[in-house]
Amino acid sequence: MRPHTLLFTAAAAVASLGFAGAATAQETLAQVKERGHLNCQVGLPTPGFYGLSDDGTWSGIDVDICRAVSAAIFGDPDQIEYQSVTSAVRFTSLANGESDMLSRTTTWTAVRDTQLGLEFTGVNFYDGQGFLVPVDSGITSVMELDGATVCVLTGTTTELNLADFFRANGMEFEPVTNENVNVIVEQYLGGGCDAYTNDKSGLAARRSAFPDPSAHVILPETISKEPLGPVVRQGDQNWGDIVRWTLNGMIEADELGITSENVDEMMNSDNPTVKRILGVEGNIGEGLGLDPDFMVSVLKNVGNYGEIYERNVGADTAIGIARDGTLNAQWTEGGILYAPPFR
Amino acid sequence: MLALPRSSRRAGGLIGWLNNAHVRAILYQVLTAAAIVLLGWYLVHNTVANLDARGMSVGFGFLDASAGFGISFTLIPYQEGDTYSRVFLVGIANTLLVAIISIILATVLGLIIGLARLSDNWLIRTLSRTYIEILRNTPLLLQIIAWFFGVFNLLPRPRDSLSWLDVFALNNRGFYMPAPLPGPGFEFVIAAFVLAVAFAVGLKRWAHRRQDATGQIFPALPVGFAAIVFVPLAVFWVLGAPLAWEMPELRGFNYQGGLSVPPSFCALVVALSVYTSCFIAENVRSGIQSVSKGQHEAAASLNLKPSWTMRLIILPQALRVIIPPTISQYLNVTKNSSLAIAIGFPDLVSVWMNTSLNQSGQAIPIVAMTMAFYCAASLTVSLIMNQYNRRVMLKER
Amino acid sequence: MSEPELVFRPKPARPAPAGTLGVIGWVRHNLFSSPANVLLTVLGAYAAYVVVSAVLDWAVFNAVWEADSRRECLDMVGRSGACWPGVAAWFWNLIYGLYPKDEVWRINLGFLVLVAWVVPLWLERVRSKVAIGLSAVLVYPFLASYFFLGGEKGLIWSLLIAFSLLTFVWVLATSVVERRTGRTLAETLLARVGAADADPAHQRRVLLWSALAALVVAYAVVWLWRLPETPTNDWGGLFLTLVISGIGITFSLPAGVLLALGRRCDLPVISVFCTVFIELFRSVPLITILFMFTTMLPLFLPVGVEVDLLVRAIVAVCLFASAYMAEIVRGGLQAIPRGQYEAAAAMGLGYWRSTALIIMPQALKIMIPTIVGQFIGLFKDTTLVSIIGLFDLLNMARAVGEDTRWLGLFIEPFFFVTLLYFVFCFAMSQYSISLERKLDTGHRR
Repeated sequence: MRPHTLLFTAAAAVASLGFAGAATAQETLAQVKERGHLNCQVGLPTPGFYGLSDDGTWSGIDVDICRAVSAAIFGDPDQIEYQSVTSAVRFTSLANGESDMLSRTTTWTAVRDTQLGLEFTGVNFYDGQGFLVPVDSGITSVMELDGATVCVLTGTTTELNLADFFRANGMEFEPVTNENVNVIVEQYLGGGCDAYTNDKSGLAARRSAFPDPSAHVILPETISKEPLGPVVRQGDQNWGDIVRWTLNGMIEADELGITSENVDEMMNSDNPTVKRILGVEGNIGEGLGLDPDFMVSVLKNVGNYGEIYERNVGADTAIGIARDGTLNAQWTEGGILYAPPFR
Repeated sequence: MLALPRSSRRAGGLIGWLNNAHVRAILYQVLTAAAIVLLGWYLVHNTVANLDARGMSVGFGFLDASAGFGISFTLIPYQEGDTYSRVFLVGIANTLLVAIISIILATVLGLIIGLARLSDNWLIRTLSRTYIEILRNTPLLLQIIAWFFGVFNLLPRPRDSLSWLDVFALNNRGFYMPAPLPGPGFEFVIAAFVLAVAFAVGLKRWAHRRQDATGQIFPALPVGFAAIVFVPLAVFWVLGAPLAWEMPELRGFNYQGGLSVPPSFCALVVALSVYTSCFIAENVRSGIQSVSKGQHEAAASLNLKPSWTMRLIILPQALRVIIPPTISQYLNVTKNSSLAIAIGFPDLVSVWMNTSLNQSGQAIPIVAMTMAFYCAASLTVSLIMNQYNRRVMLKER
Repeated sequence: MSEPELVFRPKPARPAPAGTLGVIGWVRHNLFSSPANVLLTVLGAYAAYVVVSAVLDWAVFNAVWEADSRRECLDMVGRSGACWPGVAAWFWNLIYGLYPKDEVWRINLGFLVLVAWVVPLWLERVRSKVAIGLSAVLVYPFLASYFFLGGEKGLIWSLLIAFSLLTFVWVLATSVVERRTGRTLAETLLARVGAADADPAHQRRVLLWSALAALVVAYAVVWLWRLPETPTNDWGGLFLTLVISGIGITFSLPAGVLLALGRRCDLPVISVFCTVFIELFRSVPLITILFMFTTMLPLFLPVGVEVDLLVRAIVAVCLFASAYMAEIVRGGLQAIPRGQYEAAAAMGLGYWRSTALIIMPQALKIMIPTIVGQFIGLFKDTTLVSIIGLFDLLNMARAVGEDTRWLGLFIEPFFFVTLLYFVFCFAMSQYSISLERKLDTGHRR
């Protein structure tokens, strides 16, 4: 074999390998089913949203979204591989197929949706950015923070909102950044910054663990909109639909009062919407490539939106954010949670 | 036995051709080159396909976009609305600042600890050995975090700052010092300083040459030093002291004005210097111990003063052993400064490879630019230090 | 007339002055020999007292040892003492990560096998040390990865595991036999079957068939032996730290040798390639390499090919470590006198044989302490994988502070992890020093 023939053969072999790889890329749902588990990306442990306990189990409102998807596909909420990665690599990790979905308090923004190859599938928590300050500082409004040193998590929309807010109001600030919440909180407690900014849910969760929670107050203003929700890779419509309608189904079930306890009775309900959700009527499940009663499995194993909210971040938990009157209440109760009709 | 290979070689053909060392050398190299080119092509091909499949765009266009986040410490002016390319420069400047200051401090500290390691006081010897062993055997990342939380985060709040003569202040927001504000005519002072330095260098050369020729010694060092200190000072006073100081003042939340560095900077510099000083101390110790006892004795028999023995006999020989590993320690400092990310000091990796990458999503250009910077920095440092090393090495006969 | 005999009778030596003997003498000589030394001693003792007492107060005297949550600790001592129950609750996670608790025996067994595998290297009268050492580096990983990973295994994979298992049995048997009888395992075996005096071809056949039979048995064992899969996502803690640094050092050794040889060889293309590779990876921080591999490796691979985060981190660590190892090997090669090369050439040995038989063994012997040092460095550097989100010791320590019960517990786990690192690294560095002393014979003038 002459050298250049050899070269060409090798090149052809390598090229065919590359294209063969491309050809094997298949639909996410089929991949997940074949693999036998769902790869769900969460962040570094954060209580209430994706908390890790010492027995190695994950829990939280974002984790429950993954569990719901797992229940919808397998009928079992725990066929999941949790991937806990830093926020710096969250999108690349999703985009390159390592994770099937991402459920980790990620804010839905235009740039992320359009330029990073991502698809946002809904909102499971409406949050807004606030500021935490020590009571003895005497500060009562965000507008008094001119010239303050502010602790903020880096690589988040929070960091951008902070800069935007101060610029818009002609105020100065000095950021103290880190990508580890614990580090930031230690700094805030040590007096390394005058205020700590984050999503208000996060502020409440953190304050509950302070040596003296009553010595700190969350300022009333909310400086940003933070719709947090699960994200999937762009390019697989069906997969995006599965995640989207699992979430919508949970919200709709909450509105209709279908809970994990009464789901069996509800099967006999006369309400056509309930029938459609539970797969007694209609073929929404088939359209997604799932069993017709996939929502029954989701609701039985994980619960409706209200249940996962109360279980993880509700008034009775360590996070302690009462749902009534917040954005996360149903639209019928003054919130903005509004699932598109399940028909 | 001998006939066999010869006959097969004479038989020519592929085997004989392959047995020729030259042909084989070329063949190996062609194969290697081909493998590298193929690998490169394969990677590029895959990357393009991947980017296509994900609908991601790659390019340097984002450099002109507004970054939109604040940076806690900038050596060069930066505002939230500035571009990503500005962020890159800010990161580089911060990294260099940390590296340079840490290198200087680590050298001084390393020298002290290294000498303490050879002290005849048992306690000092043991303490310095404990210092070295503890710090060498724990990860730097942990040390940086420990300095940050164990020391700099526990400092008093701005209102109760540790201050020295109301000129310097230290609190948990940082270290504050006056900023020099040069007035009109200050450039003459700088010019005088440069001239004095040039004069001192010339003086040293001249004294050296005269000593070689006549054996007479001229105290070039003190004279040159005096020139460097007093000439600019004289010019400074003649011009009416054209320099004002902007003092840091406690206003509102914190000190305003003056120069300041954040606690994360202090923690990083201290941790880097302390960690590196252990390795430098060990270099110093082994360097001094490597000079044989006979050299001390020979110097003593020539009736050299102890200070001359150290300066003229021991140090030049010890330096030969000390410098090469110390160069690599300096390079390590530059690289290790990337651990700033753990405590949020905005160095290149933290502000560029983490924050900017995360906010813009442009992995490839950002990673490439970061690597390019570190390569360039490393190569420059090793070039300069190798040059110096060669000069020191020349003394070997 | 007898002259008085003149005999030199030495006066009995007077006892040394009281001040130079015993404790007092030692103290005077070592601590207070001059005014400057007195000052240094006092200052040093004060500094040591301040540091040690502050640490002990926090970590021991004021610490809380029993509590159910951090809130309880805070109520008891505030922040003036450590809250150890949190670390205790997470202790096993810090060691094994999130590895399923009822599968942890596999990790322990895996490490025990490794210990049993390498212990013969330190035993006297064991002759096959080279073979045992090489098999530990090249063959043990297959067995270990099955222990740790578990899951489905195909035909080839099963064969490799079986081979690895068999090798382990061979290592044990051979070291026992060699210690007992001083003869190799093969000789003993042949003597047993009564083929000790048969012709070599027959002996070889006997050995080959018995090895094959053993392999079949091992394969059957492996085929029957099933372990549930434990994905690398669950790996963490000290276990993960050891795995990453272990693989890094094992891979970097052969790769470093090749790179160093490549850099020193006469073929410009190869030498330039090796030099560029080494310098590139040595001049950038490990963390940028880790970042590059986590964010960019998936882009470099064909569409749809998934690579585990741990694998990416390990690839990065391996390449980084090989570049450093290459420079260590190059240093070792440079220390070999030219005469050795010339002697090898004079014996008619070619490049590969003179390198493998003459140069490398000598160079490796010189390099062993440096390699141990490199391993310590790598072990410490693995803390960086926490920055890309692997649950190594450091990240596990962070997770403690994110547990709802122990929310905000941050310093204590860090302190514990630091202590753990120190114990490991200090032990290794002391071992490296003793090794250096042991090997430092004969070559120095």
